[in-house]
Amino acid sequence: MPCEMQQRRWEHRYCTMWKSLVAAVALVAAIGSVHAASAVNKDAETRTLVVTEGGSKTDLALAGGETVEFCPNGCFVTLPNGDLEALTGSETVEISGGVARIK
Amino acid sequence: MLFRLLRLILILTLAVSAPLSFDAVAQGLGQAPAGLVADQQKIIQALTTKTDNFEKQIQQDAEEDSSLVDIRLQLEELSRQSLNSALAFRTRLGEINGRLEQLGAAPAAGQPPEPDIVSGEREALVSEKAEINAVIAQAQSLSIRISGLIDKIGNMRSELFRNVLTKRYVLSDALSPQVFSDARDEFGNFYKAVSSWLSFAFKFKFQAILAATFVALGLALVLLVGGRRLFGRVFEADPSNEDPSYLSRLSVAFWSTLLPTLAVGVFLASTVFFFNYYNVLRGDIGLFLNALAAVIGVVFCVNRLTNAALEPRLPNWRLIPVETGPARWLVRLTTAMAVVIGVNYFLSVINDKMGSPLSLTIARSFGATIIVGIILILMAMLRPFRARDGSWRPWPAWLRYTALALGLFTIVAALLGYIGLALFVSLQVVVTGTALITAYIGFLSARAIGEEGAFANTSVGRWLSDNSSYEDTALDQLGLVVSVAINVMIVLVFLPLILLMWGFQPGDIQAWAYKLATGINIGSVTISVTGILSGIVVFVIGYFLTRWFQGWLDGSVMARGKVDTGVRNSIRLAVGYAGVALAALVGISAAGIDLSSLALVAGALSLGIGFGLQNVVSNFVSGLILLAERPFKVGDWIVAGDVSGTVKKISVRATEIETFQRQSVILPNSNLINNAVGNWTHRNKLGRVDIKVGVAYGSDVKQVHAVLLEIARSHPMVLKNPEPFVLFSNFGPAALEFEIRVFLADVMNGNIAQNDIRFAVLEKFSSEHIEIPSTPRAVVEAHKPKAWPTDDDKIEADFAEQEQIRAEAEAEKKRLVKSRKTKKPDPD
Repeated sequence: MPCEMQQRRWEHRYCTMWKSLVAAVALVAAIGSVHAASAVNKDAETRTLVVTEGGSKTDLALAGGETVEFCPNGCFVTLPNGDLEALTGSETVEISGGVARIK
Repeated sequence: MLFRLLRLILILTLAVSAPLSFDAVAQGLGQAPAGLVADQQKIIQALTTKTDNFEKQIQQDAEEDSSLVDIRLQLEELSRQSLNSALAFRTRLGEINGRLEQLGAAPAAGQPPEPDIVSGEREALVSEKAEINAVIAQAQSLSIRISGLIDKIGNMRSELFRNVLTKRYVLSDALSPQVFSDARDEFGNFYKAVSSWLSFAFKFKFQAILAATFVALGLALVLLVGGRRLFGRVFEADPSNEDPSYLSRLSVAFWSTLLPTLAVGVFLASTVFFFNYYNVLRGDIGLFLNALAAVIGVVFCVNRLTNAALEPRLPNWRLIPVETGPARWLVRLTTAMAVVIGVNYFLSVINDKMGSPLSLTIARSFGATIIVGIILILMAMLRPFRARDGSWRPWPAWLRYTALALGLFTIVAALLGYIGLALFVSLQVVVTGTALITAYIGFLSARAIGEEGAFANTSVGRWLSDNSSYEDTALDQLGLVVSVAINVMIVLVFLPLILLMWGFQPGDIQAWAYKLATGINIGSVTISVTGILSGIVVFVIGYFLTRWFQGWLDGSVMARGKVDTGVRNSIRLAVGYAGVALAALVGISAAGIDLSSLALVAGALSLGIGFGLQNVVSNFVSGLILLAERPFKVGDWIVAGDVSGTVKKISVRATEIETFQRQSVILPNSNLINNAVGNWTHRNKLGRVDIKVGVAYGSDVKQVHAVLLEIARSHPMVLKNPEPFVLFSNFGPAALEFEIRVFLADVMNGNIAQNDIRFAVLEKFSSEHIEIPSTPRAVVEAHKPKAWPTDDDKIEADFAEQEQIRAEAEAEKKRLVKSRKTKKPDPD
């Protein structure tokens, strides 16, 4: 039902507000869609990932329970068990019991 | 510059669209087929070969900036492909790891051996995994290598750029008489090429040319005429309009620039297109024509834009407030600058294609930079404003000196032989200047929208006020928001644009924006713009949802359910507070602030709050109790201590009471809870009014009693039940005292009833000859005013004055009666 047809004044007002709000939310959602891969360490010990991104290798040390965002544009990761994996930048690497899983 | 911009846009779109293509490829390769390793190895081999080729090409094209950029783009693509080929192994690796886990570790030395089939499978899996890891490692090293190459290209390009800027040409060679003969030769060549093409075209393609030109002209005409028809109202400046609003000036400037430029652009583009289509163009002529079209289009656009912004003919419609004469000069100078730069560009295309000597290129650039420098200096010297006393005032000092310095710098650099530097600076001045001026006009329009009442006059504002219930103040606030949004948008659009112009890479800007959006770490706290924004948005949504729910519950459900107003008010307030609190909590957690850490802070603070905010908290709790217990509701007449009046609003901290003298008293809720509160209208509005009457000793008290009772009974407002009662209350010192006690349905009408009854008592007593004694306290001698000396004029004037006063008083009374008729007096 269009807002103009609302009979009560407050209904009319909230309807209009509602419309403007939806527009604003759509705008913010459009702006704020930035992603990166994230790594979660569910173990108590510190685990290390070796991340190759943009031509350089860096060690990414994850303390117990820590979550880190990294690799926005794709990278290679050496997991704790020595496996090498490629990431596009939208995955979640979950480490538990020393074993990493990519979701 | 234009082409570089286009290229950047292309890169940006590529960068944006890249992740999409990524996912698609990854999904396509989701199931691991047999021979996966061999396939991907082949692909990576092919990618490596390509990379080798590019590496060679980089060495060859070390001096060519545009080809270096191309190579970089292709290398980035290769890097993505290598990543994709590594991605193809993900499912297979997952399967292998899963299976290996199922098989368990190989038995240690002392343990019994496992079946051969198990150990065989494990060995096979491990070796496959090793192969896969080897391939991914290849892809990884390839991507590292590509990244290295991309970095190398970046270094080479900045080196090239530095060379261009710092290279010094020997001007004496370039500006020798030799140049003129070179130029003559070149012009001859160009003339030959063009004339041979023209004769060819006229001989063989005359009809095609005619057709192409007419079609192009027709298209442009349709656009122009149609545009005028559609936007005619906003297109043309109305000379009779004395004071057009800034926004209408802006829209006129915008449309009167856009439409003709678009028409000319369409004409030029379609001409080139149809010439191509009919194969009229031959050899380099197409390139020349493209360049010419671009130059004409840009010069036309600049001319239209400056004309629209400065309006030399219509001072009222000027966007930038300069005087008429200088405005004319500014238009001429900017157009001249555009022409110089355009011609320089066109000649550079000819030079490129004709393979002309270096000296000619240097001479051309030298001329162009010197002219641009002179134009800049002339612009700086203009005195565009006029002071109140009529004297001409120059630009603001910073602008004047900047322009002057840039112009001088360009000329000096050109004279010293740093042609590349001079050309770069003059181009940057023009392009950055244009961007800055556009941004400035944007800022001005934002300010215009933000002014009071301006937004309501825009078409959007008018539409909103027609189609919604926004009040003027709400529209004004909306205008303010819009103006702030425009400002932010200008910064967001122009800052990256200018950075791009100055040679920053889009990747850098993207990385900065990304960092800003996802969060800056300060210690262990992460501040992220998107987090905070989303928190605010969630809170606002929650707030509006609550308000909406509140309104719906109150207006639709409870009003229809005939719920008591007090209960309605309580429920509405409770729902409102609960909703806002909930929205705040959700908003805080959406902003990425950990609620548990907040709880810690709250725990530490609660002691302090207990002491410091004791009163506030006690009032708050009292407010909640008031809402639940409802000893009074909005509209009740209450008496709390010295304050007596109607309740206007019950908030959580305090209650607003309006006394009958219309004074608002804000009473803290704890007062209302801790102290006695009288409510005249708690369950009903029934109330008793007492009227005291004294009669002289010796009167017939029985008759008095009967008379008083009769009066009380006969009054229409007095209730029959409880019955009115006349109390013979006292043998007073001067009179026998009676009290009439009557009950009224609405105690708010007490004063009316009292008045009526007192009048009636006096009337009845005088007709029945019952005396009301009075005790005179003092004898007042009345002084008669002395007679004025006989002065007819004075008397007459006094009389007239008195008459007038009386007439005024009468009128006043009538008006009062009229306005008061419907209202009843307040109770005391």
